[in-house]
Amino acid sequence: MSKPMSKPLLATTVAAACALALPALAHGRQLTLTTQLKNYGGDGAYLAVYLTDSKGAYARTLWVAGGKAKFYKHLADWNRLSVGDTKRLAGVTGASVGAGRTLKVTADLADALIDAGYEIRIDAAAEDMRDSPSDIRVPLTTQNAGKPQTGKQYVQTLTYQLK
Amino acid sequence: MSWKAIHRWLGLAAGCLALVMGTTGVFLAVDPVVQARHASPAPPDLSVATLAERVQRAMPGVEEIRHLPSGAFVAYGFDGEQAQASYVDPQDGRVLANYRPSQLPRWVKNLHRSLLLDDAGRWGVAAIALAMALISFAGLVLLLRRMGGWRHLAGAVRGSLAQRLHVLVGRVVLVVLFLSSVTALYMSATTLGLLELDAGPEPDVVSVAGSQTALPGAQFPVLQGLDARALRKLNFPSAADPEDIWKVTTDRGQGWIDRYSGEILAWQDATIAQRVYDWAVVLHTGESAWPWAIALGLAGASIVLMWLSGLLIWWRARRQAVRIADNSALAQADVLVFVASEDGSTWGFVQALHDALVRCGHRVHTSGLENFQTTPATRHVLVLAATYGEGQAPTHARQALERIARLPRGSAPVAVLGFGDRQFPTFCAFAQAVEQVLRAQGWPMLLPLECIHQQSGQQFALWGEALAQALNEPLVLNYVPRVPPSTTLTLISRQDYPGQTDRPTAILRFQWYRRGWWDRLRGRGLAHFAAGDLVGIVAPGTGVPRYYSLASGTSDGFLEICVRLFQGGVCSTHLYGLQPGDTAEAFIRRNPGFALQGRRQPVVLIGAGTGVAPLAGFIRRNDRRVPMHLYYGGRDPALDFYFEPEIRRWLDEQRLASLQTQFSRVPGGGYVQEALRRDATRLRDLLKRGAIVRVCGSHPMGRDVAKALDEILGTLRLSVQQLKAKGRYAEDLF
Repeated sequence: MSKPMSKPLLATTVAAACALALPALAHGRQLTLTTQLKNYGGDGAYLAVYLTDSKGAYARTLWVAGGKAKFYKHLADWNRLSVGDTKRLAGVTGASVGAGRTLKVTADLADALIDAGYEIRIDAAAEDMRDSPSDIRVPLTTQNAGKPQTGKQYVQTLTYQLK
Repeated sequence: MSWKAIHRWLGLAAGCLALVMGTTGVFLAVDPVVQARHASPAPPDLSVATLAERVQRAMPGVEEIRHLPSGAFVAYGFDGEQAQASYVDPQDGRVLANYRPSQLPRWVKNLHRSLLLDDAGRWGVAAIALAMALISFAGLVLLLRRMGGWRHLAGAVRGSLAQRLHVLVGRVVLVVLFLSSVTALYMSATTLGLLELDAGPEPDVVSVAGSQTALPGAQFPVLQGLDARALRKLNFPSAADPEDIWKVTTDRGQGWIDRYSGEILAWQDATIAQRVYDWAVVLHTGESAWPWAIALGLAGASIVLMWLSGLLIWWRARRQAVRIADNSALAQADVLVFVASEDGSTWGFVQALHDALVRCGHRVHTSGLENFQTTPATRHVLVLAATYGEGQAPTHARQALERIARLPRGSAPVAVLGFGDRQFPTFCAFAQAVEQVLRAQGWPMLLPLECIHQQSGQQFALWGEALAQALNEPLVLNYVPRVPPSTTLTLISRQDYPGQTDRPTAILRFQWYRRGWWDRLRGRGLAHFAAGDLVGIVAPGTGVPRYYSLASGTSDGFLEICVRLFQGGVCSTHLYGLQPGDTAEAFIRRNPGFALQGRRQPVVLIGAGTGVAPLAGFIRRNDRRVPMHLYYGGRDPALDFYFEPEIRRWLDEQRLASLQTQFSRVPGGGYVQEALRRDATRLRDLLKRGAIVRVCGSHPMGRDVAKALDEILGTLRLSVQQLKAKGRYAEDLF
């Protein structure tokens, strides 16, 4: 990926709870995702955190770390799948995440999304390093909550809590 | 704002930040050179299909192959859980060394492009790049002015050590710095989102499994027909995802290929913006062209040198600049004084005039003639104009005539005072030109044009009286001569030609105390000089320097002049009376039109009497053995054949190609033009071949030589005037 430097990050980037108007919000649950990056020895990583449904189709973007649209093509899967979602960046962007740092994202999810074959996916890329679309894919289930999962190249662990 | 002001102020201000870009740039230039060592270029007939097959065999989990700008191929894959990236040999797919994108810590690159300040820093760096582009362009304009046009761009550079360093290095790195700043601007524009590189959103395509199974890429005609040298990137479909596709990126664009059918599902051409970007990256970073990276690195390092030498030049000019005391602002001043002077000798008169006017209660604004303008407050305008060389305007006032002609007529009465030397046919030519333009524009005249000969204080005081009458004020001009800072020379030897009792002559050789490099950088001590330049000698007790043509250059290690004693001449009496060990005060004045500047055409040198001195200097330093032909005129070979032993030796050494002499006080004698006429055929041939001519001697001699040459050149439809216009004919007459 060839992009200029991204900001070396705050230890934690807290995403504002996103207020997507999903149905049955009253019965929804709050998802808290904690993503710990590896010490991959490069500039801050661009990350796209999103949901896909049981057929692998794009459902919703939870967070995009990294502000330059020029480089979103390096988050290849997300960029391709979410192409029809004109609001994919609405209120869910922040700075890129430095190597070894942690990204914390919270989102309100409808009950219907949980234990229904949905997957949390993260695409990652950093400058002069290899793009890693779908660096990690974790089924969104109550059973998986609280269990750290490991990613391929950039993600050390991904842990989520459901409240 | 003038190009000079742009170059100076942007250079001083933005230049110190550009030091960061330059220094980090030097380090960044290392990467392309290191990468080039790993480059194993693809053989000409290698297809992407074969390459993919070879690499896949050697590295089964390969996900991506990249073709680096250096020519090397890198394969990305996984070794178990561990991501890996290695150089691969395109000949057999063999895995070579591990790939590292850069040898440098990340912060070097980030400092280079954003000063570690993220987007704000990127804007800042873009501003520095813009400044750098302007500085380089203004530098080119100034360089052309200084050297006298494109044809003389490679000529010898004179001036203080700092000036010479600045020009010598500048004319080499200027283009590189300009290119790297323009490309930096383009790259910044894409990063800051001002320019879109992509062709549009990526197509959402998937491989569709029919009855077939997935094929290896080697069997796809699309990849078989694609030259590996044109490849940028090849992404293999994931083994785990049956819908995944092949993606191939080349110089021309990118395509998505079905993993079952091998058909291209979608293709996007690279945009023009993307292609320009690719070139900009190559030009800016030198990746893919390591010799260029070295050039870029050297240019980066040169910024330090250019900034420091520029700082010294500016500082020195500031210290030497004439600062007029009690200078009022333009808008408030009732008297405006405009000055044109090449070497600053006129400024002493200016200060005297300025002070006298202020004493009479005026608010006076003094400035260069290039700033000519009036305001509603202006009551009187005074112009003091010196003539430079063959009647030209001083360099700083070159555009002054056009400017005055463009401005509307003012109501304030104007007086023009010229400075010059009656010995020259073009006495006060520039002052006359200024006066004519002012008259033509219809400006009222306060006083008729007056011309001061050889900086005469007496004449100046007389003009002051006329001015006092015109203004009806008790104005008194007290002029104290100003002389440039001088250096002490010590006479080391003299060669006497005492035979002519009416005008004994001597060749004087001086030495001077050499300053350390720090003093020379700051322009202290004797300026750099070459044969043909002038040395100004200030006799004790006089404020007015006399000028002598130099028969040697700095590289000779001594300063030599030929001095003839004039009865009653203060300066020649002072010089002629010097004995080895005695000293004289001197400074250098350049004579750019006359000195030879490393040209390769044959040279015709015509000199009479002591006028042979600068010509002897040219021959002495003719190390490249350019054909030089000397025509020498004197009275009697026994009395005034100056430099004779040296000239004979230079003939033997082929520094001098031929010698023709003519003496007037021997039987059958004549003047030097006789020798020219005798040699007309050869002279015609030489001048046809582009020879340049240098004439040094008295004014009458100069006229006669020009006349004789005009006759000789007639059949070639050439004239001395034409040769002068082309810079091929120059005179140093006294």
